Amino acid sequence: MADAATAVAATEMTVEMIKASQLGMKALGAGLAVGLTGIATGIAEMAIGSAAVGATAENKDVFGLVLLLTVIPETIVIFGLVVSLLLLF
Amino acid sequence: MTEVKAGPVPYIYVCTRMRVRKSKLIPREEYLRMLNMGLSEITRFVEETQYKKEIDELATAFHGIDLIEIALSWNLAKEYQNIQKITPGTLKDLTRAYLRRWDIQNILTIIRGKLHGERPGKIKEVLVPAGELDKAFLDRMIEEPSPERIIESLKGKAEYPLLSRLFEGGVREELLPKAENELYKQFYADLIEMARSGIKGGRQFLDYLTLDIDITNIRNMFRFRADQSGDDIMNVAIPGGTISPQMMQRLLQIKDRNEFIDALVPLIKTRVLRELLETLREEKSIREIEIDLIKVQIAEMETMSKLHPFSIHPILAYLEMKKYEIFNLRALARGKESNLSPDRIRGYLVI
Repeated sequence: MADAATAVAATEMTVEMIKASQLGMKALGAGLAVGLTGIATGIAEMAIGSAAVGATAENKDVFGLVLLLTVIPETIVIFGLVVSLLLLF
Repeated sequence: MTEVKAGPVPYIYVCTRMRVRKSKLIPREEYLRMLNMGLSEITRFVEETQYKKEIDELATAFHGIDLIEIALSWNLAKEYQNIQKITPGTLKDLTRAYLRRWDIQNILTIIRGKLHGERPGKIKEVLVPAGELDKAFLDRMIEEPSPERIIESLKGKAEYPLLSRLFEGGVREELLPKAENELYKQFYADLIEMARSGIKGGRQFLDYLTLDIDITNIRNMFRFRADQSGDDIMNVAIPGGTISPQMMQRLLQIKDRNEFIDALVPLIKTRVLRELLETLREEKSIREIEIDLIKVQIAEMETMSKLHPFSIHPILAYLEMKKYEIFNLRALARGKESNLSPDRIRGYLVI
């Protein structure tokens, strides 16, 4: 009897409840979009950054160029941010 | 400050540094320009490159050919010591092991110098303290009164057991070539054992060792063929390459050059080396063959360093290229000092 009552309650979700659930899912998706792309950017920058430091240690003139190369993977997290903003607004 | 020891980061860092250093080596065009310069112009040119510090430091004590030679040796030793400092983890162990060949060279130079009664200062000038035995240790060795005491001073080092056994009845000049051969054989055997011990990056190191041993063995076979002195190749053959010492002995029994190359080529796995051997069918001097073999070795090391960009290969490729830069500059300086023609000097350059 109790199980049947729970099932009936679940099917009787209000519009507000559904909207709140969707909003929660959107927020979760937005969080994942920024979080996962942030991790991916970190991994990509790890290799480029260490190579950049190595190159700069040998030749200081390349600092500007390698700084630019190091931040190129930032685009990944920016894409993630854009996706998350589209999801939220 | 926290030091990053794990992961690929230290490997990427040091391999990039090696690549940048490699790009700073003297290019081919500059060597061709230097061929038409005098000794003083070459000194000035060298001073404008990465050898400035050494030339400036030594300029008050030495001049001419001595200045260039000693500055180059100092620079090489300093560079190699510096690389040992910046390489991380197992790469450091592998680099150190590879640089032990300089210890062998230094030990033999000191013993030879002592046997010939050279003054300590003169012996010191030709040493390259790039290996495990540092400058202070080598200085102490030079100050030892006799060759026997020099060997005693090596107690605890990898070379000691073999040297003490070989020179049990005293150090004699005629035993030195045998000691040299045995030391290098032991050196390569130790390196192969290290590479096969399961050390990280050992596989790539073993690839390099096989190439190095093959090139050395092929060079020795051509030398033996040119020399015809009747010495046994087994004395100099290094085990561990693709050609076994027994096979080398059999190959050397083939008198005809074409037949010798026909028999040798199928044994070689490296494509560029096989191609080079095909070109050696026509008569070439032993010096030309040696230079060609060095060029092939460097080219193959470059390929290996591209295949494994974050391994021991970029480091070894740079170390070898740096060694040959010094070799070239020395050849240029000595050639100019002896008034050799530019064409003749060019034949000695690895460019």
